[in-house]
Amino acid sequence: MSGKCFDIGTIQAFLDGETAPELSAAVTNHVSACDLCAVKLADADEENSIVFSALDREFNTLVPTQRLWTRINETITVEKSQHSVWQRILAAFPLASPSFAAFAGIVMLIGFFAVVNGLRDGSGEDIASSNAPAGLVRPPSTAAVQQSVPAEIRTDENDIAAPPSAFLALVKESRIPADKIRNAVSNAKLVGIRDRPRYENAVAAAPAYLPGEVSYVKTISELKESVDGQKDRVLTPSSRIAYERDMAVVNDSIKRMQTVVRGNPRNQAAKQVLYSAYQDKIDLLNSVAQQEELMASLR
Amino acid sequence: MYCTNLKLFRIALSLCFAVIFYGGIAGQTAVPIPPKPERVRPVMPPVPAPENALRAAIFGERITTERSIAVDPNTNIKVCVLEGNLKINGWERDEMRVFVKNGSRFGLKILEKDSASGKAVWVLIANSSVARPGRAQSSECLSGERIEIDVPMKASLSVSGRATETTIDSVKKAFVKNVEGNISLRNISGGITAVTYQGDVTVENSGGSISLESATGNITGYEVSPGQIGDVFKAKTNSGAISLQNVEHRQIESNSITGSLLFNGKFLPGGQYSFKTSNGAIRLMIPAESSCQIIASYGFGQFNSDIALKYTMDNVTPSGKSLVASMGAGDAAVKITTSSGRIGIRKQ
Repeated sequence: MSGKCFDIGTIQAFLDGETAPELSAAVTNHVSACDLCAVKLADADEENSIVFSALDREFNTLVPTQRLWTRINETITVEKSQHSVWQRILAAFPLASPSFAAFAGIVMLIGFFAVVNGLRDGSGEDIASSNAPAGLVRPPSTAAVQQSVPAEIRTDENDIAAPPSAFLALVKESRIPADKIRNAVSNAKLVGIRDRPRYENAVAAAPAYLPGEVSYVKTISELKESVDGQKDRVLTPSSRIAYERDMAVVNDSIKRMQTVVRGNPRNQAAKQVLYSAYQDKIDLLNSVAQQEELMASLR
Repeated sequence: MYCTNLKLFRIALSLCFAVIFYGGIAGQTAVPIPPKPERVRPVMPPVPAPENALRAAIFGERITTERSIAVDPNTNIKVCVLEGNLKINGWERDEMRVFVKNGSRFGLKILEKDSASGKAVWVLIANSSVARPGRAQSSECLSGERIEIDVPMKASLSVSGRATETTIDSVKKAFVKNVEGNISLRNISGGITAVTYQGDVTVENSGGSISLESATGNITGYEVSPGQIGDVFKAKTNSGAISLQNVEHRQIESNSITGSLLFNGKFLPGGQYSFKTSNGAIRLMIPAESSCQIIASYGFGQFNSDIALKYTMDNVTPSGKSLVASMGAGDAAVKITTSSGRIGIRKQ
């Protein structure tokens, strides 16, 4: 039988599953009939088991297999199912994450400052003071307040929530119930500066405009609003410099002539020069707008 | 204020809880995911190279092209040029020729024909390049290193451009509008409108109603005359100088903001002349025997004249100056306005 016996290499390969199916079948048949080869196979198997048990940890660490992934996922699933309700709720707030904790901290800080600021301002003069109970508000005459509550309260951009001080004083001294005042305020039309053209402000700020001057100021204001958004896009750097220089010259002329005309409104020559300077400014602004139009038509 | 802050606090608090809650849910679902298989980019089949003749049309390559068609002598021609040197010349033929060197392909579109002769009376010179796939349709405007157009001498032109040096010679009428580039016009008898926002405008030996405008450039006009009574000459620039020599229009309006004005010519009887600057000097060089009435308002500026004037009114105060004076019979009206410039009248 020794002539047909397999060498130790073949037996080892058989144990490792590395032999071809035909050879595996031949080895199996032979080992079942040959005691010597059966002993060899047993010895080899025993050696394998010793070696693999010793190296098992290294093999598993160095070569992660699908089995490893499966075991990890199974472990996670099992752990999840073992979590209590409270643990799950706590898990919903992953405060352990540093970035999240930082963000939450910032939000809390903003909230805290908002509260502190609110408490500090709350004691001052505020539209919210009209929310105070009627008993705390000092006496007034109903008719006076009804007449004095303006149908339209004009406010500045930054003062949308803050009514004029005269009105606040009226509110403070009012004997009218707070609800009534609140209704009057809420029914009043608040007009912010952004809702109306700027020239209204300009006109209001300089009541000494001449009759013909107002139309110039209106036109310039409207044009300027549209041109200011375009000039960076339309003008090249050199043109922009020229434009700003021309604009400065024109503005200077306007300013100087305005002073002259305010001093002597009958000075027709000064008026003429002033109007001419206004017209120059309009032409200057128009040139930018027209350039934008031409560029758009060529696209 | 208190209400506003309270609202702000509530919003901040709600936001905080919402973020925390969402973060928790997102954290719960975080399970190690096996790496995704690498996406394989599909390999496009090679695009066959287009024929040479089509390549320029499809990919906008620069080519040299020349085309010509028969047109009516009084034809109107419209062209738009994105960039390039544009030269338009009038000739004594009833046809037009367009030559573009190293530029876009173009076509001559006949927009209208004369019913009697059948010749084109309105032609558009348009870019005929096909837009690239996936891009917007290309502009109708031409571009090229050099663009030459020959048209009948009685033709009227309408030219618009972006960055174009434009020269037009010997046509009937011209309308030119450029964003950038100089405009030079000569021998145009039927009127001119020329606008450029960066560049100079020069008009020579021309007639008709004339309007010249520049934002930052100079304007020069010489040997210019009206085509008929009532034709106006207008020149306007923001920061450039205006120089007019032998401009024979009876109505001249000349306006610069920071540039200077020079008029060298005659004030014709019945004429109306207006010269205006904000900060620049105004100099008038006229014959000593001129007949005109001068109305000057010069704010903080100065006025002096080499020619004797008969002052009707001279109002000089530190806060504004004006005068009314006349030369000869005072047949023409000359209005001069400046805020702080110098006005000078000199003999020719």
